[in-house]
Amino acid sequence: MMMKNLTDVEIIESVKKGNQADYAVLIDRYKNKAFTMLKRMLKNDFDAEEVLMDCFLKAYNNLSTFKFESKFSTWFYRIVYNSALTKLSSAKRKIENEMSSVDDLHFLQSSYNADDLVKEDLSLLVKKIVNELPLKNAAVITMFYLEEMRTEEIADILQISVSNVKVILYRSRNLLREIIEKRNLFQEVI
Amino acid sequence: MNNINDELLNKYLDDDLSREENDLVKISIENSSEVKKRYETLLKVHEHLNSIEKESPSIDFTKLVMKKLNAKSVIARQQKYFLLSVLSMLGLIILCFVGYAFYQVISSMQPIQSSEIVTNYSKNLGDYFSNFFGQKNLTIFGSVLSFIMLISGYFLYDYQKHSKKTFSH
Repeated sequence: MMMKNLTDVEIIESVKKGNQADYAVLIDRYKNKAFTMLKRMLKNDFDAEEVLMDCFLKAYNNLSTFKFESKFSTWFYRIVYNSALTKLSSAKRKIENEMSSVDDLHFLQSSYNADDLVKEDLSLLVKKIVNELPLKNAAVITMFYLEEMRTEEIADILQISVSNVKVILYRSRNLLREIIEKRNLFQEVI
Repeated sequence: MNNINDELLNKYLDDDLSREENDLVKISIENSSEVKKRYETLLKVHEHLNSIEKESPSIDFTKLVMKKLNAKSVIARQQKYFLLSVLSMLGLIILCFVGYAFYQVISSMQPIQSSEIVTNYSKNLGDYFSNFFGQKNLTIFGSVLSFIMLISGYFLYDYQKHSKKTFSH
């Protein structure tokens, strides 16, 4: 049977039985999505790849403690999110982090001038803004859209309430909506 | 009609409203150009977010992780073998010592009746060990054991360092 067709549970069971090579299938399955999330959170390719490698090693070493009570993706993304937080926990970054969220969203909105907004292709503009979102917003947007996770699952990973996840999601969308509205306005003026 | 806030529009987009609220928002979108415009822009955002492609780490990422995993298990296996060999060596030393003690006791004993063999052997063996582990010998024995442990620890540390260096490249 092709390994790629197997479910996460089947692969994990195989790895637990000693077939270490099968773990590569899980890595291939999650590396791109997890990398995207880490890159958006850490704002840096190098750090994202380094942390991602640690996450896969941590997950492998703790595979024996994985009891299939939750989905592997939920368990793995919790490792990814917590590892990103640890990476960012150096004093300076921590302060930046704590000051983020709403203030950062306002700053983001005002940081784009008319020229940027009008010249930039809309898809690229959205991508650029998403890459500049504060840590939690970036994590929520990535898990909701890229991983297609439910808000309950995201809340479980981030260890926050479902309503908080929704607030973060709505604020991020509203920020983008306002920037697009601003863009349309400038385009009309020009 | 204009009391349709951003939260309601977001919930409408996610199909997260009650039937009544859903109808209310739907009617507002149809009747108010302002609400319609806000909703359409939000929908556009939603579509763009859905279409953003995921990014990839370096091409040989999976290979690198698997290499590190292999290295880790090799190091763990080597550590196990190293520990086993040190323990076997210690066991062998202890076995030799006990064997030597028995030999000393048996060779120094005079012929006795078979009923007293066990009693005499155990008594003599006890005496031998008491003498051997006297104040002076015990210090020497402890020092030798500590020395062996220290040497083993150093080799284990050095071996691990070497293995890590080898596998990190």
